[in-house]
Amino acid sequence: MKQHPTLRVETLVGALVTLTGLGLAGGAISIPGEAGYGGVGPNFLPWMVAVVLTLCGVLIAREALTGGFRDMEPPSGAERGWWPGLVWVSAGLLLNAALITTIGFILSCTLCYLLAVQGLRRAQGQRATSARVLATDLASGLLISAPVYWAFTKFLAINLPGLTNTGWI
Amino acid sequence: MDIFASLLQGFATAISPVNLLWAFVGCVLGTAVGVLPGIGPAVAVAMLLPITAKVEITASMIFFAGIYYGAMYGGSTTSILLNTPGETASMVTAMEGNRMAKSGRAGQALATAAIGSFVAGTIATVIVTLFAPTVAEFAVKLGPPEYFLLMVLAFTTVSAVLGQSTLRGMTALFLGLALGLVGMDQISGQARYTGGIPELLDGVEIVLVAVGLFAVAEVLYFALYEGRAVETQNRMSRVYMSRRDWARSVPAWIRATFIGAPFGCIPAGGTEIPTFLSYAVEKKLAKGSDKDEFGTAGAIEGVAGPEAANNATVTTALIPLLTLGIPTSNTTAILLGAFQNYGIQPGPQLFTNSAALVWALIASLYLGNVMLLILNLPLVKLWVQLLKIPKPQLYAGILIFATVGAYGMRQSAFDLVLLWGIGLVGVLMRRFDFPTAPVVVGMILGPLAEAQLRNAVSIGEGSPRVFVERPMSLALIVIVVAVLALPRLYRFVQARKQRPALLPHGGVEP
Repeated sequence: MKQHPTLRVETLVGALVTLTGLGLAGGAISIPGEAGYGGVGPNFLPWMVAVVLTLCGVLIAREALTGGFRDMEPPSGAERGWWPGLVWVSAGLLLNAALITTIGFILSCTLCYLLAVQGLRRAQGQRATSARVLATDLASGLLISAPVYWAFTKFLAINLPGLTNTGWI
Repeated sequence: MDIFASLLQGFATAISPVNLLWAFVGCVLGTAVGVLPGIGPAVAVAMLLPITAKVEITASMIFFAGIYYGAMYGGSTTSILLNTPGETASMVTAMEGNRMAKSGRAGQALATAAIGSFVAGTIATVIVTLFAPTVAEFAVKLGPPEYFLLMVLAFTTVSAVLGQSTLRGMTALFLGLALGLVGMDQISGQARYTGGIPELLDGVEIVLVAVGLFAVAEVLYFALYEGRAVETQNRMSRVYMSRRDWARSVPAWIRATFIGAPFGCIPAGGTEIPTFLSYAVEKKLAKGSDKDEFGTAGAIEGVAGPEAANNATVTTALIPLLTLGIPTSNTTAILLGAFQNYGIQPGPQLFTNSAALVWALIASLYLGNVMLLILNLPLVKLWVQLLKIPKPQLYAGILIFATVGAYGMRQSAFDLVLLWGIGLVGVLMRRFDFPTAPVVVGMILGPLAEAQLRNAVSIGEGSPRVFVERPMSLALIVIVVAVLALPRLYRFVQARKQRPALLPHGGVEP
C-alpha cells in the first residue's frame, strides 16, 4: 500500500531526529569522560541527549508508520506548500548573507527585502513585476534599511558593515 | 520597611529621564509587536539583544521588560479584532473577544482587556515586590541538587505538560539541550561539538536560534503555506464600558489575577493553564443572560478574566527568573540571556549583589503599566492602523531586523546562513506541531542545569543519593513525577470510567 505524502514526510522527520541523535552520539565518543571526584564528566550530558534524541526519533518514526503523529493540531494554511514563495525568501536571505560584507548593510538588506517581498506578493497571488511595484518595494526597502542602520550604528554603536567608511551608507 | 525603602530607591532610578525614555520606548515597541502578527516579545527582545553590548544594564533591562509586558497588552487587540492570537496567552481572549467584536462590541472588549491588564499587572507587581525578596532569601538556602531539580521541573512542564504531545515536546527540549552543548564546557573547559570551528567555542548565539525559529520561520511559513489565507477584520467601535460592563468585569479581573499570579511564581510557567482556568471559572460563575453570551454574542467576563490572568502570570513569572534564575517561557529565557550578556546570572544573589538594578526594574513595572494603560486605551485606534500594513512588506521588513539581531551579535555573515537554516527547521517544527519554547528554554537552561548536576554529584562524592537524601530535593522529585504522572493517571481513570458506559451500546468488549 502506498503511504500518504504527509506520513512520508512525518517518517522523514523521525529519521532526521534519529540521525541527529546518532550524530550527537558520534560526537560524544570523542569527548573525554574524566569526572574528577565528581562522578559526572563532560561527556555525560552529550551521551544522555544523544540517547534520548535517538529514542525520540525512533518513536516519532514509529508514530508516523502506524497512522501518523498523535495529538496533532491541524497545521495552519494550505495543504500543499507553494515552493516558489520559499525560494524567493530564501534567495533574499542567502544573498544577504553573501553580500552584506561587500555591499554593506543598507544595500544588502534592501536586496533581501526586495526579493522577500517579491516572493510574499506572489504567494498572495498579487502582481509583483510591474515597474511601479518594484520601485515602491525598492523605496520602502531603502526606507527601512537605512534608518535601521543609522539607528543601530550611530545611536547604539552596534557594528554593522557599510559600503563606505562614512558610517552613512 | 526594607522593601519599601528599596522600592523607593528603585523608583528614583527608574524615573531618571533616560530610564523613563527606555521604558516608554519599550512599552511602545512591545505594544506594536503585540499588535503586529508574526512577531512576538521573544523575537523582539532577541533581535534587540545586540544592544546589550553598548547600553547600560539597568536601561536595557527596563527596555526589555517594557517590550515583554507591552506585548501582552497589544496581543489582545489583534486577538479581538482579527481573531488571530499572536501568543498562546491571547488564545482564550480571542474566543470571546472576537465574538464580542462581531456583535459590535469591539470597543468594550478592548477596554476590559486593557483595564484588566492594568489591574492584574499592577496587583501582580505588588506581589513581585512583596514576595520576590522573600523567595530570594529562601533560595539562598537551596543547593545544587535543588537547583538542578528545579530546572528539571521547568524542563518537564515546558516540554511534557504544556504542548499537545509529550514526545514532540521532549524532542524539542533535547534539540535545545543539544544546541546548548555546543561550545566550551563550563567546568572542564573541554570543547564539545565545535567541529574545530573557533567561533563555535563560544557556543551558538541564542539570538540566532530565537530569531530563526520565530521570525524567519514565520516569514518562510507564510510564503510557503499561508499566502492565500483570507483574513477578515472586525469593525472598531467606541472604546468605553457601561456601568454593567464594569460590574461584570471588576470581579473577573480580581479573580483572574489571583488565578494567574501563582502560576507565574512556580517554575512551571506558561499562560495557557491560568487563562483557560480563568475562562472556565468565569463561565461557571456566570448566570442567566450573561451565561448565554458565552460562545454566542461574546461575554465580557470571558475577555476580562483570561486577559487579567495572562498579565498576572506574565508579571509574576519574573519571580522565578530573578530569584532562581529559572525562565519559564520563551521571553523570560531570552531575558535570562540578556542578563548573561552582562555577565550577571539571575538568582538569589541578584537581590544583594545587584539590588539597585532589580528594584529599578520592579519600579519600572509600575510605571510601565501606567504608560501602557494610556497607550492602549485612548490610543487604541492608532494601534489598529498597524493592522493595515500589508503582510508582504511587514514580513520582509521583519527580515531586516532579524539581520540586525543575528549579524549584530558576532559580525559573522555565516550566522546569517545559519539563521536561514534554523528558520527552515522552524517551518518543519511548526508544520508538524513541535513546540518551540522547549528549544529555547533547553538551550539556555541546559548548560546551567548541567553545571548544577555536576556540582550536586560532587557534593554527594559521586553518589546520586544526594538527590533523595535532602528533603527539598526529594520533594522536587515527587513534584516532577506527579507533574508527569498525574495527567496520564487522570486520563486513564477517565477512560476506565467511560468504558462501562459505552459497553451496552458499543459492545466492543469480548
